[in-house]
Amino acid sequence: MSLAIPNGLDNTVERPGERAPLVLGNTNYHDITESVCQVAERKPSAGWVGGFLVAFALLQMLGLLIVYLIYTGVGVWGNRAPIFWGWPIVNFVFWVGIGHAGTLISAILYLFRQEWRTSINRAAEAMTIFAVACAGTFPGIHVGRAWLAFWLAPYPSLNLWMWPQFRSPLLWDVFAVSTYGTVSLLFWYMGMVPDLATFRDRSKNKYRRMIYGLLCLGWSGSSRHWMRYEKAYAILAALAAPLVLSVHTIVSFDFAVSQVPGWHTTIFPPYFVAGAIFSGFAMVLTLMIPARSMLNLEKLITIRHLENMCKIILATGSLVGLAYGTEFFIAWYGQVPAEQFAFINRAFGPYWWAYWTMVSCNVISPQLFWFKKCRTTPWIIVVVCIFVNIGMWFERFVITITSLSRDYLPSAWAYFSPTWVDWGMLIGSFGLFFTLFLLFCRTLPVINMAEVKSSLAKQHHMAHAAAEHGEAEH
Amino acid sequence: MSEHAAPKFKPADDPTFSLPSSLASLQLPLLGGGLVALIVGVGMAFAAESESMPRFGFSTYLTAYMYVLTLALGSLFFVLIQHLVRAGWSVVVRRIAECFMILILPLAILFLPILFSLFFEGRLFVWTDPNFASAHGLDAKMWATKTSFLNAPFFIARSVLYFLIWGGLAVYYWRGSTTQDETGERAATDRMQYWAGPAVMLFALTTSFAAFDWGMSLAPMWFSTMFGVYIFAGAILSAHCLITVVSYVLQRHGAMKDEITVEHYHDLGKYIFGFIVFWTYIGFSQYLLIWYGNMPEETEWFFARQRGVFGGLSIALILLHWLVPFLGTMSRHIRRRPGLMAMWACYILVMHAIDIYWIVMPEARHLVHENIPNLGGALGLIASILSIVGMTALFVGLGLRVASGNRVIAVRDPRLRESIVFENL
Amino acid sequence: MSDTNSEKIVHGMMAEFTTVDTLLSACRRIRDAGYTKTDAYTPFPVHGIDKALGIKPTILPWICFFAGLTGTCIALTMEIWMNGVDYKYIISGKPFISLPAFIPVAFELTILLASFGAFFGMWALNGLPRFSNPMFTDPRFDRATDDRFFLYIDAKDERYDAAGVRSLLTDTGSDYVSEVLEDNTPKEIPRPIFVIWGVAVAASVIPLLCVLLMRVTNSSQPRFHIFMDMDFSPAKDAQQVTSLFADNRAMRPDVPGTVARGQLIGSLDVMTGIDVDSLQAMNAPQAQRLVAAFMQDDQAAIADEVTDVAKAEDDKETPSVMDTTPWVTENPMTVDSELMARGQQQFGIYCSVCHGMDGKGNGLVNQRAQEKGFDTWVPPSNMHQDTLYSDKYPDGKLFSTISNGIRKMPGYAGQIKVEDRWAIVAYVRALQKSQNATMDLIPEGRKEEVKSAVDAAQKELQRQADEAAKAAAAREQK
Repeated sequence: MSLAIPNGLDNTVERPGERAPLVLGNTNYHDITESVCQVAERKPSAGWVGGFLVAFALLQMLGLLIVYLIYTGVGVWGNRAPIFWGWPIVNFVFWVGIGHAGTLISAILYLFRQEWRTSINRAAEAMTIFAVACAGTFPGIHVGRAWLAFWLAPYPSLNLWMWPQFRSPLLWDVFAVSTYGTVSLLFWYMGMVPDLATFRDRSKNKYRRMIYGLLCLGWSGSSRHWMRYEKAYAILAALAAPLVLSVHTIVSFDFAVSQVPGWHTTIFPPYFVAGAIFSGFAMVLTLMIPARSMLNLEKLITIRHLENMCKIILATGSLVGLAYGTEFFIAWYGQVPAEQFAFINRAFGPYWWAYWTMVSCNVISPQLFWFKKCRTTPWIIVVVCIFVNIGMWFERFVITITSLSRDYLPSAWAYFSPTWVDWGMLIGSFGLFFTLFLLFCRTLPVINMAEVKSSLAKQHHMAHAAAEHGEAEH
Repeated sequence: MSEHAAPKFKPADDPTFSLPSSLASLQLPLLGGGLVALIVGVGMAFAAESESMPRFGFSTYLTAYMYVLTLALGSLFFVLIQHLVRAGWSVVVRRIAECFMILILPLAILFLPILFSLFFEGRLFVWTDPNFASAHGLDAKMWATKTSFLNAPFFIARSVLYFLIWGGLAVYYWRGSTTQDETGERAATDRMQYWAGPAVMLFALTTSFAAFDWGMSLAPMWFSTMFGVYIFAGAILSAHCLITVVSYVLQRHGAMKDEITVEHYHDLGKYIFGFIVFWTYIGFSQYLLIWYGNMPEETEWFFARQRGVFGGLSIALILLHWLVPFLGTMSRHIRRRPGLMAMWACYILVMHAIDIYWIVMPEARHLVHENIPNLGGALGLIASILSIVGMTALFVGLGLRVASGNRVIAVRDPRLRESIVFENL
Repeated sequence: MSDTNSEKIVHGMMAEFTTVDTLLSACRRIRDAGYTKTDAYTPFPVHGIDKALGIKPTILPWICFFAGLTGTCIALTMEIWMNGVDYKYIISGKPFISLPAFIPVAFELTILLASFGAFFGMWALNGLPRFSNPMFTDPRFDRATDDRFFLYIDAKDERYDAAGVRSLLTDTGSDYVSEVLEDNTPKEIPRPIFVIWGVAVAASVIPLLCVLLMRVTNSSQPRFHIFMDMDFSPAKDAQQVTSLFADNRAMRPDVPGTVARGQLIGSLDVMTGIDVDSLQAMNAPQAQRLVAAFMQDDQAAIADEVTDVAKAEDDKETPSVMDTTPWVTENPMTVDSELMARGQQQFGIYCSVCHGMDGKGNGLVNQRAQEKGFDTWVPPSNMHQDTLYSDKYPDGKLFSTISNGIRKMPGYAGQIKVEDRWAIVAYVRALQKSQNATMDLIPEGRKEEVKSAVDAAQKELQRQADEAAKAAAAREQK
């Protein structure tokens, strides 16, 4: 089984005992600085401007729809008894899931010493924060009186004379998502400080220099600072890793602590986490593949990076498939009629189309990644990842809506139909996401230059060491 | 870059790469003593059967068996995952895991007593009792569906399938690794990596179902989708502990003195710490969902474990299986002391035995409402300890037997050098 | 250059390197030469430099650990106090202090505070933010965040001597060695930035001032409704019209067949005043219709049925003076002073307005109607007539009349509860008796007492009548 391709640039092949390079080309430190900084320093391309205008228009639409919703009331959504958790919650879980890849790439892959994360972690973290912003929007407006959402916080109120209900998973969610948002922001910002200093030192313009100077807190690159910085980074990674797991776990508790058939199953926590990682990586790939060619970053974000992410998608997609199977098996094995009905209804009830969309997108489509050809061809990856994103949206749809529409009380059964506002908000949330992401590309370092340089240094060092050992062997 | 002197790589036939004779000579005592202890222990367990704990005998055997099985399965998973992610750091300790992984084969023979129990209706798995449904007022139609899965022939077929898959994987990876010791062929590593993906999938599926069959079906009306993951969490945690302890013992007896460094203990320690958290996460999630939902068909399992002595054991597990080792292995300074780390690993291995005991033994109780399971008295307690100790001794003895015919390190693995010079940053 | 340098404060000496390896070896050399106040500036973390420079490990992990521990304690205390002590209420049958349910928030706050510890602790230990740094005065130092590595020896170091350090650093292979001078760039904030900042701060105060102003101002105007907050309820008031229902009534009647709590008392006999068993014997279909109407709880149908029963008797070929409906003849309630008091009270509320407090049929409504001379007015019955005494007009019939009405009198079933109607029946019987009572009925011991009471009452009535007459006369004079 020879997988070797006689091509010096193909770093997806790794001979055991040697490590393939993560950065391609005859790159030195300055080249890395140049290729990352040019993204923000050159004039915006027509593609960027066009994309931004479209995204910004969609964001305006979202804003207007929120105003309309607040002015009119939540009746403008399709949420009706018994489906009180309609699209807003589906969108919320979808976006929170997407928001998992960034911190996962930064934190968990850091702990596992996966060097390849350095080229993609910055953009992925940014994506996390923007996705969490999108996610936060939905429960915020779903509370009905959005201007009173601060009642969720445990503060001594002179008007209410009461405290939040800590035995409720919905309140856990408030804490989990806001903690996650905050820690992700800290982690992202902290990782960016040395690169912001690079931006500062490269800027010709006085004000630009001042703004980046303020943002980077006067970073000088002192070794003492680096030492504490790395320690803090490692600690934050160690804290963020369980945090990532806890967030989607708690989101899954929203469903699983209830007694609704199809929601109350103990595998929900790890299954939701796997699904979140799955969808997050799919979104990272969907963004990074066009971005790397548009921003000329192919030497830093190589095919190998893409391939590794494809492998994670394959693994988590299969885990998700295993969880679907386990749920079905246990529903049958458990012999609880309501539970059995819920699962048969999922697959063959009125929402069969959503269920089978979910299964084919989430379980079947990533199986293509068993083939190396598919893992290394960017357009195939993009197509599969878009399918995965669709599938993961439908997973949340299936869980939320199918179970609610067929509760214990047959007299209350109903069929959910989204309204135009539901559609508009889903599309508008993509506007918010892409607006923020495109702004990020233009103003902040899209790749963690310091870490890429560091791994380049390691690469050189290892090449030296290998050469020395090679000599010693002969 | 570093100030250390360049490490010296020893030739493949270096004496420190084979099992130290002081350990090799322990084989026979361990095998013999273990077998005797196991037989005596299980015999005592049968004697300890009582009105309130009628299935004590076989359950004790199952406890001991599940304990060593999870160690072997955890080791198998360790090997698979190292290949899957092309890990470099772990090569020096991978052979230790491989030695335990291959014990799946003898464990298949030790599984026979459990199959044997199927011939005695309701002596281990209550679903083998044809009168179970009527005695407990269960719906006949529902019970018929349930027993279409839980019946002796299908159970045996599934068990055989699990062992075929595990055994197949273990033999494949064992052969690949030991053959490489002789040939030094790099392509062998490529091959093992290539198959690691499907192997992990197969492993996940079979382990999950084996956990349902051998653990969850002890309480045939109870179900939890998370159960397989819970067993897996315990297995992978204890496998890392086992590797740590064995590495330390081997080094104390002179093997691999320069190969396994403090860096490897540090890394194993990080994994142990991580998996302690993972085990807690899975256990807590499972408990929280069932506690919160409060549905009678699910709470019965925890109900039996919240009363009497098992209630105390539940609290003890929270404190001693999570809190104490969590705090104990949190610090980098502790992880970087092999002796301390080996001690913590030993401790967690004991805790894991208690965890398995806590899963299996309450189901030996007489299944009437509100019947509180007990330890089977002093006799039962001694029997349980003796069986677990005996089984473990047997397991370790078998491991030594396997190791004595082979090297204790994958000497020609292409990543061995990377592993030896590995440093935590 | 050296001329200008002499006027400025010298902080130390820095040397530039192009590779990590040259930097590391230089670090080791100056460490071995005994310099301690040294630092290296690199574009990325260089591993091994802490050993090469002799940098001590940081206490950051401890800060994090204790910050995290604080988070756990805050969360658990908060949850236990808020839900277990200060504001207790039961939800889904869980105990007030539910530890499993408190763990997620405790976990999140632990992570949050530990992260704050790591993040803010790191900046604090590093002494950042610090925007003015003498290192930045040299334009070449800009490459310290790009691809150059700098080594720095502080002038405060005991062994520092400019010439020696310069030669040592040049000796380590550096291409560029330079003194680090005090930053002499102007320190004040540039005017545009200052103006923008000032405007932003001023603008941000405005909303706060508005809120404060609102807080201290008294106003008779209604509050602003920025958000509706359910201030204007769309719910209908009683008697309003709605297009939602075919009958346009916003108030909805009870669903047929519902029985309000406590309203189902006794048998049909009690509910109707008719001896249903006897009616069944006499006229089975009629009895069944009556029962059916009751099952529907349709007040109109019941009234129809009951009057039908009465009418059917009237329509018999030999219309008898005697009512042949099998009315209940005995009051099914226990007649005692309590029931009587209740009957008196209810009679006072509902009956007396027409029938008068004494039952003579001259209540206020009647007086008014007579005064106005309405043509259609049917005067209420005087209860003190033979035909209405219990021998001719059984209790059940009286009950039925109260319930379903007669002639112009509406039925009171909807307003007066069943027991209360029977109480009224009992009271009416007592009232009737009172008009024909003789002193013989009174026990011997209380005769005097009653006599004086009657006299007093008669006097009072007389006085009232006189006053009324006087008042009438006065009105007429006017």
